[in-house]
Amino acid sequence: MTSSLDSLSRRAFIERLGGVGGTGLVMAGMSALGFGIESRAATPPSLSGGGGKKIVVLGSGVAGLTSAYELSKAGYDVTLLEARDRIGGRSYTARKGTKLTELGGEAQTCAFDEGHYINPGPWRIPYHHRGYLHYAKTFEVPMELFNNDNDHSYVYFAKGSGPLAGKAIRKQEIAADTRGYATEMLAKQVNQGALDQDFSKGDKELFLSYLRSEGYLTGKDFKYIGSEGRGWAVDRGAGLNPGVPSTPYALSDILQSDTWATLKSVSDFDQQRTMFQPVGGMDQLPAGFVRHLKPTIIHKSHVVEKISQDADKVQVHYVDGKGHRGVVTADYCICTIPLSVLRGIDIQVSDPFKKAVSGVSYAPVGKIGIQMKRRFWEEDHAIYGGHVYFDNPDIGSIALPSTGWLGNKGVLLGYYQFGANAAKISAKRLAERQAFAVAEGQKVFPQYAENAESAFSIAWHRVQYNLGGWAEWNTDNRRDSYPILNEPDGRIYLAGEHLSYLTGWQEGGIESAWQQIGKLHKRVHA
Amino acid sequence: MFYRRQAFMTVVAAATLAAGAAFAQPDGKALFGQNCSACHQANGKGIHGAFPALAGDLFVAGPPETVASVVLNGRGGMPTFGKDLSNEDIAAILTYVRGSWGNHAGPLSPKMIESARNPGNRQDDALKMQAH
Ligand SMILES: Cc1cc2nc3c(=O)[nH]c(=O)nc-3n(C[C@H](O)[C@H](O)[C@H](O)COP(=O)(O)OP(=O)(O)OC[C@H]3O[C@@H](n4cnc5c(N)ncnc54)[C@H](O)[C@@H]3O)c2cc1C
Ligand code: HEC
Repeated sequence: MTSSLDSLSRRAFIERLGGVGGTGLVMAGMSALGFGIESRAATPPSLSGGGGKKIVVLGSGVAGLTSAYELSKAGYDVTLLEARDRIGGRSYTARKGTKLTELGGEAQTCAFDEGHYINPGPWRIPYHHRGYLHYAKTFEVPMELFNNDNDHSYVYFAKGSGPLAGKAIRKQEIAADTRGYATEMLAKQVNQGALDQDFSKGDKELFLSYLRSEGYLTGKDFKYIGSEGRGWAVDRGAGLNPGVPSTPYALSDILQSDTWATLKSVSDFDQQRTMFQPVGGMDQLPAGFVRHLKPTIIHKSHVVEKISQDADKVQVHYVDGKGHRGVVTADYCICTIPLSVLRGIDIQVSDPFKKAVSGVSYAPVGKIGIQMKRRFWEEDHAIYGGHVYFDNPDIGSIALPSTGWLGNKGVLLGYYQFGANAAKISAKRLAERQAFAVAEGQKVFPQYAENAESAFSIAWHRVQYNLGGWAEWNTDNRRDSYPILNEPDGRIYLAGEHLSYLTGWQEGGIESAWQQIGKLHKRVHA
Repeated sequence: MFYRRQAFMTVVAAATLAAGAAFAQPDGKALFGQNCSACHQANGKGIHGAFPALAGDLFVAGPPETVASVVLNGRGGMPTFGKDLSNEDIAAILTYVRGSWGNHAGPLSPKMIESARNPGNRQDDALKMQAH
C-alpha cells in the first residue's frame, strides 16, 4: 500500500537525514527507501581513447594501482613511481624474511615459518566492497571467508566488577543471558498490560511471540532459564549421554562485568560477519594488478621529492634507490601519496589546497602477529577464527586466523590498538611489545605464553611513507578541506582512501581512484 | 561494535584516571616516555620529515592554551590525547617538555589545561576512532 502520506513521511525522513549527515546520508537513505539512487559506484568508469596522453601516478597502493591499470587500459601512457622497494602500500603481508624498520625503531625481520603470515594493515573485506571484489574476480585472486564474529570466542573484561570481571567468558553466554533476561523483563511488562497503549491488540501478541523467540523464554510467565545456544555444561554424546545443560549467570553479575558492551542488535555495516580475505595474504591483490600491468610502467624505489606544474605540464622530481635524481614530465598527475606524507613534500599548488593537505589527522594504529607452535585456540577451546574482545584498549582484541584451519601452527593477531593507546605501545621496544601482548593473551588462554614462538609488530604512525593508519576527518575539515582536495589543482589530481567516506578501507582508495580518473578523462575529452 | 565500546571504555578510563590523580603527583618524564616518545623520541629531537623536534621548539615555549590545545585535540600527524590523559597528566608532561632539552618555559597547571579543553564537536569526532 503506497499512499501519499507514506511518501510524504519518507521525504520528511530523508530531509531529516540531510540535516544530520549531509548529502551522503541522504543518498544512502534514498537508496535504502527504494528511490533507486546508488550512492556508490560498483564498476570502474569505462574509459577509452586516452590517445597516448602522459599520466604520472604516484604511489602503488590500491588507489595508484587502480589508476594505473584503468588509465593504461584506456590508452594513456602511464608511469607509476613508488617510494618503496615493494608494490601495494598498506595492502601488505609480512611473512618469512619481510623486513621493517619503523622510524626511530629497531630493525625487524619476520621469522614466521614458510606459509605463515600476518596482514599488518588491511585484513578483511566487507561483502559490499564491490570495487575490491571486482578486481579480485578480474585478476582471479582466490578469496576465502574471514570470520568476523565467533559466538564461541571469549570476552575478557577486567575493568568491571563482580565475579565475571577479569575472566574469559564465552560471547555466546553473554549474548544468551543478557538478551534472555532483557526480553523476560520486557515480556512480563507487556504481558501485564504495562505498555498496552503502544499496541493494537493483535500486535501485542505478535510482540510477545517475538520476545519469546528472541530470548528463548519459556512458560506462561516468559521465564528465561538458559538456552542451548549458550553451550552445555557437559556436551551431549552417544549412548547414555544426554548432556548437562549450562546454567545462566546472574543478571547482576553480567551487568557489573560490563561484558554486555560487546553486544549489538546488528553489527555496523562494515563489520558484519561475512567477510573475505585473499588466500595467502593481502598483498595478493596488488600482485594481481602487477600481473596485468606492462612491467615498464612501475618504477619501485623512486621517492617523490617535489611536484611542480605549469600551464602545459606537470613535473615530478624523484630520487631513486641509487641516489640518482630525475624528473618525470607528464600531462597530468594522479597523486595517491597519503596526506600525512604529502604535507612534507614540496608541491606546487594553491595555498588553500596546501592548507587543506596539512590539516588532516591520521590515526596511530598498532598490530602484532604472533606465531604459535600449535593452534591451541582450536584444539583446546574450539574457537575457529573470530575475535577475543578486551576492555583494555592497549590490546583491543586478539584475532584468531581464518586460514590454515586444523593445521599445526598458526599466526594470530595479538593486539590491535588505536590513537593514544597505539602511541603508547609503539614507544616500547620490539621485545617489550611482544612480552606485553603475550602476558595479556595468557590471561585468556593458559597455553599462550608457552606456545609463542616469534612476533612481527607494526606501528603505522612510525612507518615511513605512511605516517599513520588512515585519515581521520572531523566535521570541520570534512566541510572545509575535503571538497578542495577532491578537485584537481591545475594538473594534479589526488586520490586514495583519504578522499572517500570509506576511510580506512581499501574500497575507499579504489573508488576514489575511479572518481578522479573519471574526472581527468572527461577533461581530456572536453 | 568498536565505536560504542570505545566510547564506553573511555568513560571508565577517565573515571579511573580522575580517581588516581588525587593520590600521586604524575611524573612528567615517565609520562612523556610512555605517550610521546614513540614519535618525538625520548631526547625530544623528533625525526626529520615526520615528527617535529620539541627540543628548542619555539611553539612549545609559546602560550599555554595553544600548546595544550595541540595535545588535547591533535593536529596533522599528532594524535588526540584529550580523552586519554587527565589535566594533571598533560600539565606534568608539558611542564617537563617546556623545561627539558634546553627549553626554558614555565610550568603549566592542570587548571590551564582544563581551560584549553574544547567542548565543541572535535571531542565527538575523536569518538569515531574505530577498527577497520
Ligand atoms: C592497521 C590497518 C588495518 C586496516 N584494515 C583494513 C581492512 O581490514 N580492510 C580494508 O579494506 N582496509 C583496511 N585498512 C585500510 C587500507 O589499508 C587503506 O585504506 C588502503 O590500503 C589505502 O590505499 P591507498 O592506495 O590510498 O594508500 P597506500 O596503500 O598507503 O598507498 C600509498 C603509496 O604511496 C607511496 N608513497 C608514499 N610516499 C611516497 C613518495 N614520496 N614517493 C613515491 N611514493 C610514495 C607509499 O609507499 C604507498 O605505496 C587498514 C589500514 C590499516 C593501517
Ligand atoms: C603518532 C606520533 C606522535 C605522538 C605519539 C605524539 N606526537 Fe606530538 N606531534 C606529532 C606530529 C606529526 C606533529 C606535527 C603536527 C603538525 O605539524 O601539524 C606533532 C606536534 C606536536 C607539537 C607542536 C610542535 C610544533 O612545533 O608545532 C607538540 C607541542 C607536541 N606534538 C607534543 C606532543 C606531546 C606532549 C605528546 C605526548 C602526549 C605527543 N606530542 C605525542 C606526532 C606525534
